[in-house]
Amino acid sequence: MFGRLQTERPEPPETKVPELENIPEAGIGYHIDAWWWLVALVAGIIAILSITKPDPYWRIVLFVRDGIGITVLITVVSFILMLFVGMLGGLGRISKNKFIHLVTTLYVELVRGIPLLVQLIWWYFAFPVIIKQIGVWTHISFLENYEANAIVLAIFGFVFCYGAYMSEIFRAGIQSIPKGQMEAARSLGMSYFQSMRYVVLPQAIRVILPPVGNEFIALLKDSSLVSAVALADLTRRGREFMAANFDPLQVWTMIALLYLVMTLFSARIVNYIERRTKFER
Amino acid sequence: MKDNNEPIIKIENIHKRFGKVHALRGVNLQVKKGEVVVIVGPSGSGKSTLLRCINRLEEYTSGKIIVDGIPLDTAQNINLVRQEIGMVFQSFNLFAHLTVLDNLMLAQKIIRKRSPEESRKIAVDLLKKVGIPEKLNAYPAQISGGQQQRVAIARALAMNPRIMLFDEPTSALDPEMIKEVLDVMMQLAKEGMTMVVVSHEMGFARAAAHRIIFMDEGQIIEEAPPEVLFTNPKQERTKRFLSKVLNH
Ligand SMILES: Nc1ncnc2c1ncn2[C@@H]1O[C@H](COP(=O)(O)OP(=O)(O)O)[C@@H](O)[C@H]1O
Ligand SMILES: [Mg+2]
Repeated sequence: MFGRLQTERPEPPETKVPELENIPEAGIGYHIDAWWWLVALVAGIIAILSITKPDPYWRIVLFVRDGIGITVLITVVSFILMLFVGMLGGLGRISKNKFIHLVTTLYVELVRGIPLLVQLIWWYFAFPVIIKQIGVWTHISFLENYEANAIVLAIFGFVFCYGAYMSEIFRAGIQSIPKGQMEAARSLGMSYFQSMRYVVLPQAIRVILPPVGNEFIALLKDSSLVSAVALADLTRRGREFMAANFDPLQVWTMIALLYLVMTLFSARIVNYIERRTKFER
Repeated sequence: MKDNNEPIIKIENIHKRFGKVHALRGVNLQVKKGEVVVIVGPSGSGKSTLLRCINRLEEYTSGKIIVDGIPLDTAQNINLVRQEIGMVFQSFNLFAHLTVLDNLMLAQKIIRKRSPEESRKIAVDLLKKVGIPEKLNAYPAQISGGQQQRVAIARALAMNPRIMLFDEPTSALDPEMIKEVLDVMMQLAKEGMTMVVVSHEMGFARAAAHRIIFMDEGQIIEEAPPEVLFTNPKQERTKRFLSKVLNH
């Protein structure tokens, strides 16, 4: 009954978010089990070595135990903070405000051009010099007597560096959500931030999750770089043990296994969260 | 139509440039309360841009738009006006991560500050009205295009808008779903909703519109009631356009 106008070709509708299609649920369980076995295998090797040859393996584990704590602490705290930096950086990179855009773009470009190790060393050795100098100029004794706190500055360094990569991940994730989602939210009267908060980010999170999970695992491994800045993390404790006992093969094999069990375990957790968000929607 | 003569939408000499593209070249338009205006015109003539300027999804280069007495100038006013205007898009734009029900409830809760119970009741009633009471918990990707568009209309209506804008609401739909969406729009028009509709659907335009606007190259070329414009267009361009549209 309704005549259709033929002169104007409708644009195709925007592509749907792929993960919203129905994916049969069978089979997930098998994959999870298969890869958890690998985690169990590596953990098992560590256990068997420690039990069958407590000297040196169990001694190594005991010796580096507090180093594991430092490694985990730095990784987890840095990761949580860098999520915030990444979100703000990502929003800044897509901001229409030229100043904000410029600042965040500069941040991302500069940070990505400097090796992480150099950045960590800079924060630990160079940054306190600046603080002290400011203290001298302003006669604030609190700043003048500033003592470098290795953990705080290491976390600072990681957050600063990884935050830049995280910003790019957030930017790409946000931009992957069709523009119409934001427009629909705005047209209902929501502000830019409400639209981001309730409509765009919840969808972007699903896109962002896999690369963010990879960043976590990369960070866990990169945290070994802090052994260069006087922090007794897992790697540094390994070196100390070796200096005292001189059995490099056993020490570094055990250190490698300990890192491996942590990264494999993290990968499983990341994978689990990905699947959960995919199906719960 | 009520004879409240103060127009609810006043558009005065709007210009919009996208870089070098001069998409709107001095558009003047007034829409009265309860009026249904259908905008037609070839692709690229600025129809969507004009609609998007009315609720400021697009910033215009110069000119003035006043909606319900509120000028679109400050950010605060823009958000106020947006709450009074419902918009329906060609590509539906339902929130993909939310169920149908949550799509209807979200803005009610955060903008209208309604309680979950109240929002839910309004949502359920509206879904009945648009004829899909049984899909409350479906996700947008799980329902047909026609159903998605009707949900989108219901979502806009849940905010109690005084004006509804439709940008080619049926042109992304398969033919068999067009009627179900037009029926809902027809119903709205009968209830006295102020509507500005960009549409190819000449049957709908004839039946529902008080006025047809023909746009070309960023300008309003001609406007008249449907029976006049369709049978007796004055401008050459309108005639050429209509001959392509109506002969089939
Ligand atoms: N975001 C944009 N950026 C650049 N040019 C645009 C944009 N949106 C629309 N235009 C241009 O403005 C003109 C009018 O577009 P539009 O309002 O979409 O026309 P219609 O809806 O009548 O097809 C076209 O030339 C189009 O290419
Ligand atoms: Mg258009």
